Amino acid sequence: MPNLDLALKSAMSIDGAIGAALVDYNSGMTLGVAGGTGEIDLTVAAAGNTDVVRAKLRTIEMLNLNDEIEDILITLGTQYHLIRPVTSRTGKGLFLYLMVSKSRANLAMARHQLRSIEESLEL
Amino acid sequence: MSGIDDTETPLPRRTARTGTLPPPRPLPPSLAGNTSLPYPAIGQELSELRLQIPGVHGCVLGGVDGLLITHNLQTDVDPNDLAALAATTFGLGRQVGLRLGQGDFQQSTVRNAGGYLSVYAVSSQALLAVVGEDSINVARLHLHAPAVAGRLAGLLNQVTPAGHGS
Repeated sequence: MPNLDLALKSAMSIDGAIGAALVDYNSGMTLGVAGGTGEIDLTVAAAGNTDVVRAKLRTIEMLNLNDEIEDILITLGTQYHLIRPVTSRTGKGLFLYLMVSKSRANLAMARHQLRSIEESLEL
Repeated sequence: MSGIDDTETPLPRRTARTGTLPPPRPLPPSLAGNTSLPYPAIGQELSELRLQIPGVHGCVLGGVDGLLITHNLQTDVDPNDLAALAATTFGLGRQVGLRLGQGDFQQSTVRNAGGYLSVYAVSSQALLAVVGEDSINVARLHLHAPAVAGRLAGLLNQVTPAGHGS
């Protein structure tokens, strides 16, 4: 899957990127990971954030909003975590997960770049 | 009704291989029914797993012999059946491990349209089977269950020497 590797590689080239993953939120398992550190296990992050995405999807459904998630931003003390569900037909049920350092990243730029990566992702 | 037609070409058959099977293992006495096991502590580990992961219907601790040790299922599934199914899954996994030289059985997951059955190796004698609905976060299960299996192995090992003489 060269496109998956390429997408994760481009996600890691975003300024301040710490780790990136493509995750299936039906199972919580990762299709691919890049980056991460000794302390940060991206498969754990993927499984945990699967519950975040599922909870939000369920909430949207319960509110009858008839809408979908474009992205989710989680702001920590030192990091931003970006979650972006894949919109293409072949990528249904997947989301891109990106961790960036708050001090080194430009949030607007990171979000913009993650969107273009998601749009060009073909599986 | 003679169903077999002699003129048909016979189906290819595997010939028996000799000398490739490992020697039969001498098995210790079954853990099932052992009254010296720390059942409250085991039950706590099983219920913790069920609480930690939404969508888990229950867990079954069974021996590799297919006999039930204990369970916390609250559905109408027979836990004895599940203990036997876990041992069946283990048998397949063990054969795959032997044939491919991949070592001991660790984990096997069956996914059906309506849910999952995951079987984890606890020790050389015991298996942990987890039943979950289809919406379960199976990656989280795979992260948590091996740790639970490790703690269960510790609990079982404490008493195995004592139960040996029975």
